[in-house]
Amino acid sequence: MPERQLRILEEGQGQYLPVDPDGFRDATGKKSRALVSKLVSAREAVERYVADGDYVVWECNYLQRGPSLLIREIVRQRKRRLWACGKFTWVAIALLVEADCCDRADMGFFMGGPGLNRAVLDGRLTIYEYSNVVMTARLRAGAMGATFVPVRSLGGTDNFRYSGAKLIEDPYTGKPTVVVPALNPDVALIHVHQADVYGNARIFGAGITDVESALASKKVVLSAEEIIDTEDIRHNPGLTKIPYYVVDAVVHAPFGAYPGETPGRYASDTEHVGEVFLSMHSGKLGEYLEKWVRSVADDREMLEKRVGTAKLESLQRRSTRKEGFRP
Amino acid sequence: MISRGPWSDAPKAAAFAEREFQVCIAARLVEDAHTYWVAAGGGPMYTVLLARRLYAPNAIYVTEDGIVAAEPVLPLDPVMTVVAERPSFRALQWTTMNGIGDQCATGYMDYGILNTLQLDPHGNINSTWVGRYPQQGKRINGPGGADTIAAQCRRVMLLTDHHKRKFVEKVDFISSPGFLDGSPGARERAGLPRDTGPWAVVTNWAVFDFDESTHRLRLRAIAPFVTLDQVLGEMSFTPVLADAIGTLDAPTERELDVFRAEMDTRGQFTDASDHWIIREDDRWTMVAKEKPAGTGLL
Repeated sequence: MPERQLRILEEGQGQYLPVDPDGFRDATGKKSRALVSKLVSAREAVERYVADGDYVVWECNYLQRGPSLLIREIVRQRKRRLWACGKFTWVAIALLVEADCCDRADMGFFMGGPGLNRAVLDGRLTIYEYSNVVMTARLRAGAMGATFVPVRSLGGTDNFRYSGAKLIEDPYTGKPTVVVPALNPDVALIHVHQADVYGNARIFGAGITDVESALASKKVVLSAEEIIDTEDIRHNPGLTKIPYYVVDAVVHAPFGAYPGETPGRYASDTEHVGEVFLSMHSGKLGEYLEKWVRSVADDREMLEKRVGTAKLESLQRRSTRKEGFRP
Repeated sequence: MISRGPWSDAPKAAAFAEREFQVCIAARLVEDAHTYWVAAGGGPMYTVLLARRLYAPNAIYVTEDGIVAAEPVLPLDPVMTVVAERPSFRALQWTTMNGIGDQCATGYMDYGILNTLQLDPHGNINSTWVGRYPQQGKRINGPGGADTIAAQCRRVMLLTDHHKRKFVEKVDFISSPGFLDGSPGARERAGLPRDTGPWAVVTNWAVFDFDESTHRLRLRAIAPFVTLDQVLGEMSFTPVLADAIGTLDAPTERELDVFRAEMDTRGQFTDASDHWIIREDDRWTMVAKEKPAGTGLL
């Protein structure tokens, strides 16, 4: 055998979640494969499956078909020291930082405002720099059971310097190639259109990394607009995006993505979207959280008392282009 | 790059906001039957939407959430420019972020269109931090999908407001790659695909491309309502000057009608312009414009 070394040309200095595919397999090995109901309330799901210090990935975001109700529940339960996967997210990181739930984030894309900016400067929030697609590549590597993945981006940027990426001499071409560490989050929060009680799930429309995040994460919590019969799943199995045995909890969550849109179901509440943006940019997210999250027991109470049936019905009526978002 | 087109002889608008001018100019650069990966929302998306309506009906665009070749229902709701019904309508494919990333990495994305907060003479983009990273200054959004677009699309069009603080000799943070240090092969040495990189910069006052040998920003044309001195005066470095600097056509009535009715319906994009541009008897005046307190809801 010729003696050869894999040459590392440059390395980022950012911390990254330790890469441990066998440890991850240990976690998936412990999950039950039995067809048993996993229906729980949002409160139970977050109590049981989101722990202080967890690395959390949510799919889509607080304003676009994301698990907004689970993010609100994390705030309510005052989870601490979460490490957030900050890909493709508008306001969710700022909300979690305001609530003192999150002290690390891999970026991605997010918006901040003065509150988040202060947290960064005070050292209460540490950010590691990637990009949206590099983060989804890391999740895909995690979902492959691999340890890293090459990407043909990130190189030459300052993101690279503050990330867990390495520039290596590619073993096949000899050319410089950026590799990034696989990501296996502790918990994934995913909002879906339909699921059965076991966790077989359907998602319609475009999306970010729903399937990769489900496969890559140790614990998986789904919030579902609609709970459907397993017989329906069996009649059209091609629509199943996530199989039940990767799922730990299923929360029945009509309007679970509020104030965002769930395509095919309801439009976004543009008034509320404006309010959360304005609160963020004016440093008033604390007041936002008090009004919409902390002063109500759960999402049902928020929808009943703060939003109201008339508003919810109008959001449903504004969903008019349903083609492709139903079986 | 600055050619005649259907806009050249069409009736021109007598008044417009600076950013309206910028989007019209950018839209005229869009090539029919080519693929575009556009930043989700704002100027980049309006550029391709306006071009499709007027000049390049078969320009195809994708967004980072995996919507491919949609025929969107306009106008879009605030912020709901992706993963939503209206931008998804009549697409040819709904895939995912990794799906679009793969299509770009394998070379199927001809063009990218991006917004920039700060850029340097080699087209490197900052959208992460203003000030001294990470101790002093202000945290901005981060690259989002722009790093991949800038790294892998064959040609990248950058949009930015024409301000001294935007065109800087050295960006505070490279969020998305331009020609890096400008030396030959710099991008390849960093692991990026060959034959890629920034291609044009369109501002509310001017259009630039990049010098082929030095990879430095090169001024190609300016708006009819500014002078060369004004354009250079609002840059912190001096760009290469093309042999002949062209004059750009003002927006047409038709361009503004479509843009205002279908895209910038709330003034959400152009309200941030500094000036109204007004034409009287073929004389241009620039009038300071009040900027309403916005929430950034593009």
